[in-house]
Amino acid sequence: MAEKLVPVVCPWCSVGCRFYIVSVNGYPKKIEFDYEHDTRNHGKLCPKGVSSFQYLRHPDRLKKPLKRVGERGEGKFVEISWEEAIREIAQKLKEIREKYGPEALAFLGSERCSIEENYVLQKLARALGTNNLDYVCRMCQSTAVAGKGMVLGHPGLTNPFEDILKAKVIVLWGYNPAATNPVFFGQYIEKAILDNNATLIVVDPRKTKTAKYADIHLQPYPGTDLAVALAMLNVIITEELYDKDFVAERAEGLEELAKTVEKYTPEWAEKVSGVPAELIRKAAITFATAGTAALLTNEGVNQHANGTRTVMALTEMMVLCGYFGKEGVMSGAIPGAHNGMGAGLMGIEPDALPGKFPLHAEEHKKRIEEVWGFEIPEKPGITYVEMIDAILEGKLKALYVMGTNPAKSLPNLKKVEEAFKNIEFLVVQDIFLTETARYADIVLPAAAWFEKDGTAISFERRVQRSFKAADAPGEAKPDWEIIVMLAKELGLGEYFNYSDVDDILREINRTIPPLAGATPERLKKNLQGCMIPCPDESTETPRLFVQGFLTPNGKAQLIPVEYKEPGEVPDEEYPFWLTNYRLVGHFHTGTMSHRSKSLSKRWPEEYIEINENDAKRLGIKDGDLVKVETRRAALVLKARVTPHIREGVVAVPWHWNFNYLTKDVLDEYAKMPELKTAACRISKVEG
Amino acid sequence: MGKKIFIDFRRCIACKACEVACEMEHGEARIRVFEFPDLTSVAFNCRHCEKAPCMEVCPVNALSKDEDGAVILDPLKCIGCLMCGLACPFGVPKVDEYNKIMDKCDLCAHRRAEGKLPACVSACPTEALKYGDINDVLWAREGRIIAQLKDIGDRTNVLEAYIIR
Ligand code: SF4
Ligand code: SF4
Ligand code: SF4
Repeated sequence: MAEKLVPVVCPWCSVGCRFYIVSVNGYPKKIEFDYEHDTRNHGKLCPKGVSSFQYLRHPDRLKKPLKRVGERGEGKFVEISWEEAIREIAQKLKEIREKYGPEALAFLGSERCSIEENYVLQKLARALGTNNLDYVCRMCQSTAVAGKGMVLGHPGLTNPFEDILKAKVIVLWGYNPAATNPVFFGQYIEKAILDNNATLIVVDPRKTKTAKYADIHLQPYPGTDLAVALAMLNVIITEELYDKDFVAERAEGLEELAKTVEKYTPEWAEKVSGVPAELIRKAAITFATAGTAALLTNEGVNQHANGTRTVMALTEMMVLCGYFGKEGVMSGAIPGAHNGMGAGLMGIEPDALPGKFPLHAEEHKKRIEEVWGFEIPEKPGITYVEMIDAILEGKLKALYVMGTNPAKSLPNLKKVEEAFKNIEFLVVQDIFLTETARYADIVLPAAAWFEKDGTAISFERRVQRSFKAADAPGEAKPDWEIIVMLAKELGLGEYFNYSDVDDILREINRTIPPLAGATPERLKKNLQGCMIPCPDESTETPRLFVQGFLTPNGKAQLIPVEYKEPGEVPDEEYPFWLTNYRLVGHFHTGTMSHRSKSLSKRWPEEYIEINENDAKRLGIKDGDLVKVETRRAALVLKARVTPHIREGVVAVPWHWNFNYLTKDVLDEYAKMPELKTAACRISKVEG
Repeated sequence: MGKKIFIDFRRCIACKACEVACEMEHGEARIRVFEFPDLTSVAFNCRHCEKAPCMEVCPVNALSKDEDGAVILDPLKCIGCLMCGLACPFGVPKVDEYNKIMDKCDLCAHRRAEGKLPACVSACPTEALKYGDINDVLWAREGRIIAQLKDIGDRTNVLEAYIIR
């Protein structure tokens, strides 16, 4: 029995935990903790990390290419050969392109695949002449990317994890790391609070496991936290708590911002958000006078129709207090998946080139075209949610989906299902027959994360290599191999001349200058990887904005932000605010975690949290069945009556059917759909 | 005194990584996380008592202490009479329904033999679980409290108020 310890990067969230898979003749036997290397997780893992090999050998794994025989959505398929599958896809894509033009094609990449795989997928789309490219960042981080981009010129997490240990105040805004990033929470945030006396401010309508540690807990109605942020800006400016030297030297636009937020007093914010004005004032003063601060946000901020504005206001708070570029501070939004950041950097976006350069950045475009040998299409593509509308309008005819599950992750799912029933051609490449795959014409079996070599970029901006620890089941293949096969069949083989992932990474080193130093050799030698930008093999960048910001003139732009309501607010007919949250034991749409025995046993089903006073008023008791209804759809769920959610708000874990309820209204800047809130009514189901 | 697993419940976030890690090692979790309505939570496993009641009542001597002081069950001797389960004040030994004998935490004997920490301790992301001698664990806590007081003292001169000379 040949037992091997193979070092891998955790396939779930974006902390970048490392551990080993104990592999016996290509079979994953168990995991082992890595206490030898200087890993970010110090050997520690959360329940998802510990059980992460369980789904690999689940009997539902896709093992052969499939062709649909039943109706779309029915899930009836027959097995076909790889040759047949690839031939059919190539033919159909060519046919559609000839008939309707390249813009009738669209591609979705994946935060769960390696940077190499996302890179080849976007390259294929562009070789076919379209920029219709996107991935789930649109649904989780795009408002943060847009907001921080406008103010600072770069959206990345600013500092290494260690810096949080030195922060005097930590603000967790719309973010519950105790459930979403337990290792980051335990190894850094909790240590800062319990061992180093950092003050914690939490902004969340629910009292979470994170909020349990809070000194100040603000509980706004979902999506009204923009009002709280504006009021904090108001206090910081009117009470002159900001860092005058820093602002004078490194920012511009204070006057307009001050004028704009004048009217947004804490008393005004109390009326909008339900948070007591005094508490807002206290939070603002605590934050501004701390000396060093970490302000971390997540989907509670991002996934709103006013998400970009909230991110801008919060970033401006950090600028005003002069917290950037120092030790002991941190600012960032935390991507959901282990390669959320990496996928985006590969250019799997409708308006960005590899390296996140804008599509029209001539100099970068030319450099990349030289490496590639073909021209990049000029016209910007359409974003994720817009693709659904384009299908329904008959403009988009073919969608190629790699490792992602829009039929569960997009808002207003009934509409999405309608679109997938009517699309001309749908290909899904994944490890299980997902909700989306059930609508596909052709399904391709992919290798899972531990079954291939690949590189991922964690939310700390750390580039790390993960190694092949297990054989893929049946005929499943790594995603990059599948894309290369397809490219060859499409007659584009000359541009896709790779024999392994190292070849692809070397091309990435050449096309994306900030990644030039993350070579295969360096990453194989140093398991702890390196932090981007790493322009050459001996450099990396642990801290951003030490000298200047990445805006054209190097100064932070204090762009005035006006209040805007979330996309749907309660009224007489639908009087409750509905929101969602994540469970520590599940991940995204559950494709993997619902098939993990140890996880689904402990976190078996969805339910709805209702405040005890609301429940009493409506005659609902703990465990009763409750109907929750929005303008889109209704679900029946078990009630969980609790004091830990504020009155007027109800909450459902989102890993099951939540998105039937949400509305597909978009943030104006980032086109992020409002997944975090909707107006709903609830009633007890009798009998 | 042997080493044991101690829990600092202030740190526990009820993530159940300990339960899942134990389940991965033994097929069933032998540690359980209890959550309370006020959001506190405690992970609870065998205390490996100095004077272990389970050992005392076992009619066939299936329970014994190993060299590290862990209370270990010998599955070949166990007759599944459930006496240990009744005697344990914490309700730790559980029936293994399949084999009709008892099953309990052995502080991951096979991992200790390889110089590794028990699985639950290895995993716990918050270090709420600590493996060690009680005196070391208490000293670590005391040391931290003193260090914090000193730190506050250095900053504000309140040290006088806390330390009687
Ligand atoms: S915290 Fe995130 S990266 Fe770490 S083990 Fe858990 S899921 Fe994996
Ligand atoms: S020491 Fe081992 S057997 Fe005991 S609770 Fe921990 S993991 Fe389970
Ligand atoms: S792993 Fe640690 S933090 Fe998580 S439930 Fe167990 S004891 Fe608590």
